Amino acid sequence: MADLDVQERRNLSASATAHRGDRIFNRTITTAAFSALFVLAGIAIFLGAQTIPVLQTQGLSFLTTTAWDINTDPPTAGIWGMLYGSVLLAVVALVIAVPASLMMSIFMVFLAPKKLASMLTNLIDLMAAIPSVILGLWAFYVLNPTAEVWQQLLNQYLGWIPIFQNASGNFLGTPFIAGFVLAIMMIPIVTSVTREVLSRTPPDLVNASEALGCSMWTMLRYVALPYGRGGIVGGIMLGLGRALGETIAVFFVLKIVFDTNWYNIIESGGGSVATLIVSRFGEISGPYELQLLLASGFFLFIMTLIVNVLANLIVNRTGRLQK
Amino acid sequence: MTTQTLDPTALPNLAEQRPQRPWRKRTPRFKLAVVLAVIIPAVVTWFLWQTSTIPTPVLLVAIYLPMQLIASTLASIVTRGRRGIADSIVIVSAIGATVFSLVILLSLIGALIVRGWKALSPSFLLQNNIYISPSTPLEYGGIGHAVLGTALIVFLASLVAVPIGIATAIYITEVRGRAVPYVRFFVQSMSGVPSVVAGLFILTTLIVTGALTQSALAGGLAYAILMLPTVARTAEEVLRLVPDELRTGALALGSTRARTVFRVVLPAARTGIVTAIILGIARIIGETAPLLLAAGNSDQTILNPTGSPVASLPTYIFNNVALPYPDAVTRAWGAALALMIFVAILFTLARVLSRGRLGR
Repeated sequence: MADLDVQERRNLSASATAHRGDRIFNRTITTAAFSALFVLAGIAIFLGAQTIPVLQTQGLSFLTTTAWDINTDPPTAGIWGMLYGSVLLAVVALVIAVPASLMMSIFMVFLAPKKLASMLTNLIDLMAAIPSVILGLWAFYVLNPTAEVWQQLLNQYLGWIPIFQNASGNFLGTPFIAGFVLAIMMIPIVTSVTREVLSRTPPDLVNASEALGCSMWTMLRYVALPYGRGGIVGGIMLGLGRALGETIAVFFVLKIVFDTNWYNIIESGGGSVATLIVSRFGEISGPYELQLLLASGFFLFIMTLIVNVLANLIVNRTGRLQK
Repeated sequence: MTTQTLDPTALPNLAEQRPQRPWRKRTPRFKLAVVLAVIIPAVVTWFLWQTSTIPTPVLLVAIYLPMQLIASTLASIVTRGRRGIADSIVIVSAIGATVFSLVILLSLIGALIVRGWKALSPSFLLQNNIYISPSTPLEYGGIGHAVLGTALIVFLASLVAVPIGIATAIYITEVRGRAVPYVRFFVQSMSGVPSVVAGLFILTTLIVTGALTQSALAGGLAYAILMLPTVARTAEEVLRLVPDELRTGALALGSTRARTVFRVVLPAARTGIVTAIILGIARIIGETAPLLLAAGNSDQTILNPTGSPVASLPTYIFNNVALPYPDAVTRAWGAALALMIFVAILFTLARVLSRGRLGR
């Protein structure tokens, strides 16, 4: 075989043919393909350009203090409470959404009959398609009264735990409700990734573990979950990125206060950068406030970009390992 | 071993045979335990719900769930010994989590239908909002202007995002340049851009600089940022499914690469491409924040893409939600129901199309 000198199988689409139209085609497509990079860089540059003057006037206290006094001279602003509030909401959402999605995907992959599982998949995809403004509308009119009762009960029975303290007696506009709404947004995202990952567990391994007498829990603990760990973490982080950037659904159910709500999740008032931008934009006082909002947007962008890049790195790496 | 030619037809078709799982055999005792473990907690809870004054959430969380857990644990101990405990907890919480999500979804869709149905009527879908104040009765005014505005904005977004998204997919699957991993990574990262940031970007680059005012075009461009990654990623998956033989064949017949893509690859994947566009539209159609920043709002029917703020379904809902007038709130629910119906139609369309030959 060696002396036959057969040409290696050519990589069919690696480069353009000599044809002139082809070169133009290649160049156009390549330029268009980089538009995602252009947009990302454009966002970083244009919002970053607006951030520099804000940091010059406000200093680093823009990031470390909580204030929004635009009409004083000089105006002071700080978004620490908002940045922290976004993270707090995301944590509440994670605590609700991660167990729920993981358990639901376990149900769909290992427990449910095939027909029920595919029906559930469709319903979860439909849930992912619900626009956030509709979720906000529902949360404002349907979830709010119900959640008020839950929170009063939590406060009544578990009030000795610091996070369930409530001094004001007002149970609306709390980080708990906003986090719950974010959890509803996260559940379909996380579930669809974890379901996909768990369903790729090699059936031989599952059957072998069962044949060896493993209980379902043992199988999950030692076969399915370790096998899908990377994908599950990545899916959770994708959901987290979405939760950090969500604006409208939170707008209706969270009372924005310029004060750091450290851990009282059922106390009225909290923060969220994305929601701050929309809520202040409606009654904007002038170009300086717009600049402050653009700077807040810049830090929101950086925060979500980091989470998303990490998530994609994790998902991509596990994808490669499994192939 | 004797050498013997195996007749493939004589062998049982292993692929078609369902695997036997002797370890999953269900004995009558097992069935009885499961049935009892399901029925007893439910009956007790129902009885308490009827007779006592314990609030329903407490009843469900503090009484029903622990009781169900204990009952299932006992059932699994009876049938399988102590090893079954963890299993029963997994099973109960898996079913519980699924029911939890379904209850939320049903509550949402139920509320949309019950509260939005009152508002829906032909005139509500066709009229616009001029001369309408929040307290005007429901018979007057409607969301016609918002439906047209959303359609216009989505159309403009598609004009930008669809060609670029498909070109990105073509770069990844057909041109296969050196930068493929990087391009994919940028597209993935772009899909995580928060919608409000997309709106701010258009606001600062185009509106503050004076190139555009708040308008359908500005809103469409903000939408395009959100739409592009969805189109690119779905189109990439679809183009991957086009068999390589078609490309090789076209090239062997002497066609140029550009012609191969436009005459062979894209037509072969056309349902998939349509699915990609539909999914992109479904992704953006309900986004509110970018439109609040870039497209503004209006009560009139506006079909001019530039020059004046334009209404859209999401901003219409947003503006009516918290008004202290019952009719305005009903309008918001009506608009939300209409929007959800559009999303559901797009969603079903994408499903039906992707059931075809190449979409899968």
